[in-house]
Amino acid sequence: MLLELKNVFKWVQSSSNPVFLLKDINLQVREGEFISIMGPSGSGKSTLLNVIGMLDGFNEGEYNFMHESVHSLKEKQRANLYKEYIGFVFQAYHLLDDLTVEENLEMPLLYKKVKSGERKARVADMLDRFRIVGKKDLFPAQLSGGQQQLVGVARALIGNPKLILADEPTGNLNSKQGEEIMDLFKQLNEEGVTIIQVTHSEKNAAYGQRIINLLDGRMV
Amino acid sequence: MFKNHLKIAWRSLKKQPFFTFLNIFGLAIGMAGGLLISLYIYDELSFDKMFLDAERIHRINVDVKFGGEAMFSAEASAPMAEALKNDFAQVENSTRLRDQGSRLIRKENSTANIKEENTAFADENFFEFFGLELLHGDVNTALKEPNTLVLTETAANKHFPSENALGQTLILSNNETYRVTGVMEDLPKNSMLREHAVFMAMVGHEDAWEGAWGSHNYFTFIKVLPGANMAAFQEPLQSMVGTYVIPYVQRYFPGITEEQFRASGNYLNFSTIPLTDIHLHSNAFMELSANSKVENIYILTFIALFLILLASVNFMNLSTAHSLKRAKEVGVRKTLGSNKRELIRQFLTESAMVSLISLALAISVAWILLPFFNDLAGKDIKMPFTSPFFWLILFAATTLLSLFSGSYPAFFMSRFMPVDVLKGGGTSNVGGSAIRNSLVVFQFTISVLLIIGTIVVYQQLNFIQNKDLGYSKEQVLVVNDVFTVGDQVQTFKREVDKLTPVAASTLSSYLPTPSARSNTSFFQEGAEEQENAINMQQWFVDHDYINTLDLEILAGRNFDREFKTDSTAMLLNETTVSVLGISPEEAIGMRISGDLGAENPEFFTVIGVIKNFHFSSLRDRIGSLSMVLGDFSSALSIRLNTSNFPEAIASIENIWNQVAPGQPFDYYFLDESFNQTYEAEQRLGKIFIIFTLLSLLIACLGLFGLAAFNAEKRTKEIGVRKVMGANIQQIAYGLTLDFLKLVGLAIFIALPLGWLAMSKWLEDFTYRTNVGVEVFIFAALIAVLIAIITVSYQSIKAAIVNPVKSLRTE
Repeated sequence: MLLELKNVFKWVQSSSNPVFLLKDINLQVREGEFISIMGPSGSGKSTLLNVIGMLDGFNEGEYNFMHESVHSLKEKQRANLYKEYIGFVFQAYHLLDDLTVEENLEMPLLYKKVKSGERKARVADMLDRFRIVGKKDLFPAQLSGGQQQLVGVARALIGNPKLILADEPTGNLNSKQGEEIMDLFKQLNEEGVTIIQVTHSEKNAAYGQRIINLLDGRMV
Repeated sequence: MFKNHLKIAWRSLKKQPFFTFLNIFGLAIGMAGGLLISLYIYDELSFDKMFLDAERIHRINVDVKFGGEAMFSAEASAPMAEALKNDFAQVENSTRLRDQGSRLIRKENSTANIKEENTAFADENFFEFFGLELLHGDVNTALKEPNTLVLTETAANKHFPSENALGQTLILSNNETYRVTGVMEDLPKNSMLREHAVFMAMVGHEDAWEGAWGSHNYFTFIKVLPGANMAAFQEPLQSMVGTYVIPYVQRYFPGITEEQFRASGNYLNFSTIPLTDIHLHSNAFMELSANSKVENIYILTFIALFLILLASVNFMNLSTAHSLKRAKEVGVRKTLGSNKRELIRQFLTESAMVSLISLALAISVAWILLPFFNDLAGKDIKMPFTSPFFWLILFAATTLLSLFSGSYPAFFMSRFMPVDVLKGGGTSNVGGSAIRNSLVVFQFTISVLLIIGTIVVYQQLNFIQNKDLGYSKEQVLVVNDVFTVGDQVQTFKREVDKLTPVAASTLSSYLPTPSARSNTSFFQEGAEEQENAINMQQWFVDHDYINTLDLEILAGRNFDREFKTDSTAMLLNETTVSVLGISPEEAIGMRISGDLGAENPEFFTVIGVIKNFHFSSLRDRIGSLSMVLGDFSSALSIRLNTSNFPEAIASIENIWNQVAPGQPFDYYFLDESFNQTYEAEQRLGKIFIIFTLLSLLIACLGLFGLAAFNAEKRTKEIGVRKVMGANIQQIAYGLTLDFLKLVGLAIFIALPLGWLAMSKWLEDFTYRTNVGVEVFIFAALIAVLIAIITVSYQSIKAAIVNPVKSLRTE
């Protein structure tokens, strides 16, 4: 078992009544799964993904990630946990504009205090694997959306995470670019990486082995 | 990691050239200003510290009241120095300087005189006492013999351009022969002796050895033993009054006791002031050289701190404003595993980089401006580039500054939570606007304060220039050193009077601007007790004095050539008659003598009373003054009735060259001399203006950046408003108004503070301008106007953007 959410509730206090963002979520994810989260706008998909990614907290319930009880950890410990095991892919790519492709890939390793030699090797390896060696000195603004997302995925992957969380990774891409990214996810999943994606598209959702539907913060 | 920080810092600075420029430019201006002021303050604080054992040297001050006039003098009586050394164990040594003012000096066998502005008699041990060394000659024997003198290097080169000065003969004032026994290095600019160039041997100056305890003409310095308690020394110092001064006074008032002397309201108090305090803390009568006021140092320190603070506030404001753009970066970095500390480090690296670039710029700017600044401040400051200390302090200060200005943005930005800032394109709630707004208010408060300060200083200067002084200072030319003409003086005056551009002229050394003064005690006939003595200025003038200076006679008449008896006639001023408690008319015919205690006193008869005129600084009340006819004069004051000065001067010089061939023709205008009296205020005024402009500039840079940020933040809102039908004016007005509210608040805070501060400053002047409402209205208007100009550019720019463009960000 990679992670488990038990009776997770999340709400915000608005005037008198709490507004529930997540209601009684129970979810178990095994290693090697590829899960798609679907639902209409405002159903809590991204919130759920943020909770799983430990970027956001919750109000009630339990969350165990690789035998650690996340709900009882301090913020810093949580950060160490996701730093170690989770890679994020964003709809808007969120590459750092001031850094080249190579430097963007290198950054997570810097934070993990990986030695220079090994950093270089892993970056080179990743550039090679994603076939973007020729782009390594370019800045994000010089790349197409599809290429940027490719770098985004490579960056998420470079720290050897157990889990990749992708929030509408193809949302800003045209269908061909989107397909390429989804094929890439599929391939990564086959290599053993656990993936949870949020998507609007039935077609993309179909890449996953399991679909979770959310409505008003509740799993249906 | 650090390399990575540097790289990112550099790239993000490069990527935002506009913000980077505002930041660096603002900081550099603040730093350059701060650097210049610091150098100035350092120079002021270093005064007289270069002398040997400076910390053990003290000067004797004398606080004396005799005959109604009180005087706090920097000079003591001639026998004081010797007595101090003999009577007090803690006094290790003492020395004296008797200022002689300007002297005409010429070489033997030459008729051409050269003027030395500052000469003095110095005791034999003077150089040794202050640790001054001679370049040529023996320091121990140089002033041992009468009629020997020591020149500074500059003076030596002036009088002996191509030969060795040592051993040469010089003629002073055309009649005293001196031998040059030493040449010394020029005296440091930051010492009280900076203007002195000629030191004559005291042994040849008779007055120094006659034991006159009653007149105070000698700068007296003592060197005390290490660790001597100066506070405990003040009390025994007073005993000298009983020991020496009273016996001396008894020569003139037989049988008088110290009690009687003091009971009549007179007093004589001795005190000491440390040598190193003189420049900033002493404001006695007849200082050796012009001193500064420690208040000005405080004012400047505040201005320097303000400038740097303003620049630093700018930095914070612009950085946090800019953080909108960095929010995403923070979020991404956090999801990629960065912790808060790493982020803080990175932002601090950026602020350090900006500070260092600013420092480099600031040093260059300060270096370029230094000559102008020196000119303005009347200093000779050099950049201490070779001093490791200078660099150490500079880098320490810059580090502190970058930590100070970088810390708020760093902590502010590192707080962003990824889940907030990575949501969609959302960059809406950056926050921190309350702090940014207060920073703007702070900047404008200081700017408004400085504007008020500038206006009031200039109003006071203007008030001084235009005040009715009781005499007319315009178009009066003063020719110096007319005594060199010898018995031709009257001929010179007569010839000058004949010139068409000359309205009148008068021979007198005594002028309402800084010139000769002589203070004497007088008594009325029949009231010869010393408690009834009147202490007043006695000026020696001629018949044309009143006309030339446009003085007004209130009662009686002016001196008249028709009346032979006018050689014993006297004019009094209003203050004198009001001190005597009589009306001007009652004063006419009064008989007054200055020969206190003499057998057959010579009496003057009061023939007229003149309307008060300001003959000392407007800081002081008008004192008592009397005028009598006198012969010996060193200056001819000439009222011109033309504005073609060069021509008038040329024709006067022409006459001069006929009556006094070879003598230097030295002149000045009375109003120039008057203005010099207020040089300190004028400097302060200029410094105020410059630093007010700088601080306004910095505040504007900040406001400009902030307006840009604000417009950007509200792009969407503006777009929506425009779609809903708002026009450009309405939007620009709305954006501008937001900032005007802040400026309004700043004005509201600054006005009372400014009023308080400037009223306090004006208290120093007995005659002063009023701080009127218009000053505040004007200051407020300037601030508002500047704010509107600064902000409206950005507001209009934001308002004319096509909403299709601004709403596309979603």
